[in-house]
Amino acid sequence: MSNSNIIEASNLTKTYRKGNVGEVKAVDDASLEVKEGEFLTIFGPSGSGKTTLLNLIGGLDKPTKGKVTLDGLELSKLNEAKLVKVRREKVGFVFQAFNLIPTFSALENVQVALAPTSMPKNEQLDRAVELLELVGLKQRINHLPAELSAGEQQRVAIARAFANKPKVLLLDEPTGNLDTKTGKEILKMCHKASKDQGQTVVAVTHAGYVKSYTNRLLFMRDGKLFSEMPKDEIQEEEY
Amino acid sequence: MISFSYAFKEIRRRKYRTAVNIAGVVIAISTLITLVMAARGWETCTTVPLNSIGTDIIYIYTAPVEPSNKGCYIVNHLFSYPFNQTLLTEIEQVSNVECAVPILMHRSRALVLTGIDPSETQTNAVLPDSVIEGRYLTPDDGYVALVDKEYAILNNLTLGSNVTYAADFEVIGIVDVSSTNIMKSHIYVNLPVVQEILPEKPIGLINIALVRTSSPNTVEQTAAELEEKWPDSSTLTGWDLAETSSGIIQMNEDTAWNISIALSVIAVLFILKSQLGNVAERTKEIGILKAIGWSNTNVVNQIVAESLLQGVIGGLVGCGVGYIFAMYVLSTIGGEIGGALNFVTVDPLLLSLGFAIAIVSGIIAGVFSSLRATRLSPVEAIRKI
Ligand SMILES: Nc1ncnc2c1ncn2[C@@H]1O[C@H](COP(=O)(O)OP(=O)(O)O)[C@@H](O)[C@H]1O
Ligand SMILES: [Mg+2]
Repeated sequence: MSNSNIIEASNLTKTYRKGNVGEVKAVDDASLEVKEGEFLTIFGPSGSGKTTLLNLIGGLDKPTKGKVTLDGLELSKLNEAKLVKVRREKVGFVFQAFNLIPTFSALENVQVALAPTSMPKNEQLDRAVELLELVGLKQRINHLPAELSAGEQQRVAIARAFANKPKVLLLDEPTGNLDTKTGKEILKMCHKASKDQGQTVVAVTHAGYVKSYTNRLLFMRDGKLFSEMPKDEIQEEEY
Repeated sequence: MISFSYAFKEIRRRKYRTAVNIAGVVIAISTLITLVMAARGWETCTTVPLNSIGTDIIYIYTAPVEPSNKGCYIVNHLFSYPFNQTLLTEIEQVSNVECAVPILMHRSRALVLTGIDPSETQTNAVLPDSVIEGRYLTPDDGYVALVDKEYAILNNLTLGSNVTYAADFEVIGIVDVSSTNIMKSHIYVNLPVVQEILPEKPIGLINIALVRTSSPNTVEQTAAELEEKWPDSSTLTGWDLAETSSGIIQMNEDTAWNISIALSVIAVLFILKSQLGNVAERTKEIGILKAIGWSNTNVVNQIVAESLLQGVIGGLVGCGVGYIFAMYVLSTIGGEIGGALNFVTVDPLLLSLGFAIAIVSGIIAGVFSSLRATRLSPVEAIRKI
């Protein structure tokens, strides 16, 4: 872990208009710094704004207020083409609920991440196969997502996130749909990758066992970030 | 950068949609080719055979003028009875008739002898510009003949040779007559000589009048007038000769184009609607692709590649189907003169144009439907579960 910050988010606010209910602050004045190579986990109950926060950090969404600097680039100052490059090259996303393309095989789901790069086609194929081997899916590369178990689908999603050797890996509920054993395997894999390749990982979750793989914990509640667990949640024994 | 192999996979996975899109293109393109070729065949059949001999109406007799008269087959399946040459002056009195030219055509087995009046050099069974060797007939000529080029070659006839048809003639000219000429004969001789030598002795008789009218627009009307005035006569115009057995609407090329262009526009709208549905169905997929680093250009390229591919396949199949239909339709046009295929063939330029229209339709549909995809927010797409 180096001392420089790869992610700096300051005073991030994201407001959604919600019909007649008025406005919802999905993220509320959240500030956050992540060091290069760090494995940060953010805990929070469902609806606390975790996904929104990751989307802001990864340049998928624009904050209503505040700014995000990722690997020295201030995202709000980038044009669409540069943002696309950030999403493609700097960030590896593992979305909540996998988000694989159902009509594509495991292999093709990884290849699509490489398709818009300048890498030659045959190298793209080799790299996709190599990544699936790495996540232990060598025997499953031609299976469609529906033919894979939840854990296997999550591995494909992780292989896809790793495809372009991103500096930052953003994991949204990486263990969300998995049993504890599989969830732990997945985390181990991400943890190992971040240690081996110096990748920075930001994971958001509400599963307690994530703790043991993490360098640092943050807590999220109603769009706000806390460095310690908010008092009223201590009772919830899952943590 | 975006591979056609993905496009291929996508369209294969969406078999129904692909089949429907391709069918739309095939219908438009094959109709274009069939209609335009049918129109061309029709137009050609109605004009070429008669115009090449400078006439608008072939006037014949379908009932004997005098009970003693024996008729004969003249052209192909046309049967005519001889009639008095003096009728020509009466025909010329009919409004819009410019002139009526006498022809006496006689058949003996497969050989055709035609008697002509060589002073008629604008409308005639054979015109002076057909002569490729020797000279044309003059009104003073006696037992001399013009012979058809192919017939001459087949029978080793040259200038000065003898040719026999009821009498002996000296060959004084060789003519090159197109097979589209409905009056094409083997031997042409001065009319009075033919009337003299035939065993029937048809002195003063002819069996065809070639009628030239003053305006191409009044041909049908003039023909009707002639038939009305001489109820036993029969007239043949370009339209009669071209008659079609396929029931295809007799139209001109402009109409064919208009119909085809309208169809192509419908096909484009059709694919467009289908591709828009396709994009809507794939909202989530496109959102994911954008979220993992696909640019709008990448997404547009991908969707355009897919619909372009459908356009290419539809274009190829459409050209093939259109070619087959066009060949069929052309073969059914031109009753008395044989299939229109003798005059027109399926135009490779038209096939290329049909293919190009298919490709352009694919691109247009792809571009417009992918515009929707570019407005799609990846965050929104991913939130949908
Ligand atoms: N696109 C949106 N439109 C309206 N409200 C949204 C949208 N995205 C998120 N929200 C709201 O913002 C809050 C935080 O959502 P989210 O970031 O998905 O939380 P988490 O990932 O922690 O479950 C929720 O109340 C959610 O309903
Ligand atoms: Mg979430």
